[in-house]
Amino acid sequence: MIADEEAAPPPRIRVWDLPTRLFHWLLVILFAVQWWSGKAERIEIHVAAGLTLLGLIVFRLLWGLFGGSTARFSHFVRGPGAVIAYLRGRRGPAIGHNPIGGWSVILILLLLAVQIGLGLFASDEDYLDTGPLAHLVSFESARALAHNHEILFNILLGLAGLHVLAVLFYLLVRRDDRVMPMLGGTRTEVAGAEPLRPAPLWRFAGAVALAGGVVAAVLAL
Amino acid sequence: MRKLLLLGIGATGLVGVAVAQTPARTPAQLVQARQASYKQIQGAMKGLSDQLRAAEPSLPAIRQHSALLARLAPQVSGWFPAGTGAEAGVRTRAKAEIWSNRAAFRTASVNLVVAARRINAAAAANDLAAVRAALPTLGGACRTCHDQFRGPEN
Repeated sequence: MIADEEAAPPPRIRVWDLPTRLFHWLLVILFAVQWWSGKAERIEIHVAAGLTLLGLIVFRLLWGLFGGSTARFSHFVRGPGAVIAYLRGRRGPAIGHNPIGGWSVILILLLLAVQIGLGLFASDEDYLDTGPLAHLVSFESARALAHNHEILFNILLGLAGLHVLAVLFYLLVRRDDRVMPMLGGTRTEVAGAEPLRPAPLWRFAGAVALAGGVVAAVLAL
Repeated sequence: MRKLLLLGIGATGLVGVAVAQTPARTPAQLVQARQASYKQIQGAMKGLSDQLRAAEPSLPAIRQHSALLARLAPQVSGWFPAGTGAEAGVRTRAKAEIWSNRAAFRTASVNLVVAARRINAAAAANDLAAVRAALPTLGGACRTCHDQFRGPEN
């Protein structure tokens, strides 16, 4: 009996499409790059990575509207009733972001967008290290935005830490691995849950092109 | 001879009046004056950088900013007479190293003058490419000195 179970691993279902996973891990890498390049005052790297992040966030917003089923906002943005029910332990058969995780995704995306916006206009004390749009604001404004850029980074760092703690909680307490699905795209089957409905490739190409267009438009300001 | 002497006395008197009309400034006033001058440099630097980033840079604006930088740069080393450090009684980020390492401060201020004159010459010649090429050196002169002789912002 035991031998049988070992021979046939539990069936896996698709949960995250490749674009969503790529977004997630590129975000992790670029967040680390920004932490380092910000502290080390490597402005060329910081601006280049920041603009890449801008494109990445725009892409994710588009993917939340047109992407694979589990990436869509309509799939994971839930009302307060669902959040409270989830907290009370009533969990329906579902994969993807849970009602709490969904709101944390929204919060993180929103704050990242604000953070990138601040960085675009920020300047150092000598107007030597500047965001690509600092010429559109006064020096005093650019400095104020730079201070907020620093404060918001610390908040984002806290949220990233909270995110890792939540993943560890699921892994160690709930025995539910959230890391492997984000890497490979599949997870153990959840009875009754509908697996990922992926989006066609042309939508991915379209979203990437649009995101690139937004970055180009910002640089032209 | 008497006329010359009178003329000399008269001239001395005029200089005396001129000196008397320039009120002796306290260390605190000197600190505030140099901070105001640095603000001018900062404004010129932003104006210059922003013009170079613009789709159609304005040469008159670039000439104006560069001229201001070239005019103020040679004054910088004179903005730090003894007594205008932390002991001046107003907030200043000037570090004690300015006075303890006078030679290094002097070198840094000379580098600024050289860089500011170079960019001003390029601007005066309406050579946009040369202005662009000269800006990093000028920024570097600001940064090198600030890293060594300016304290933290807050």
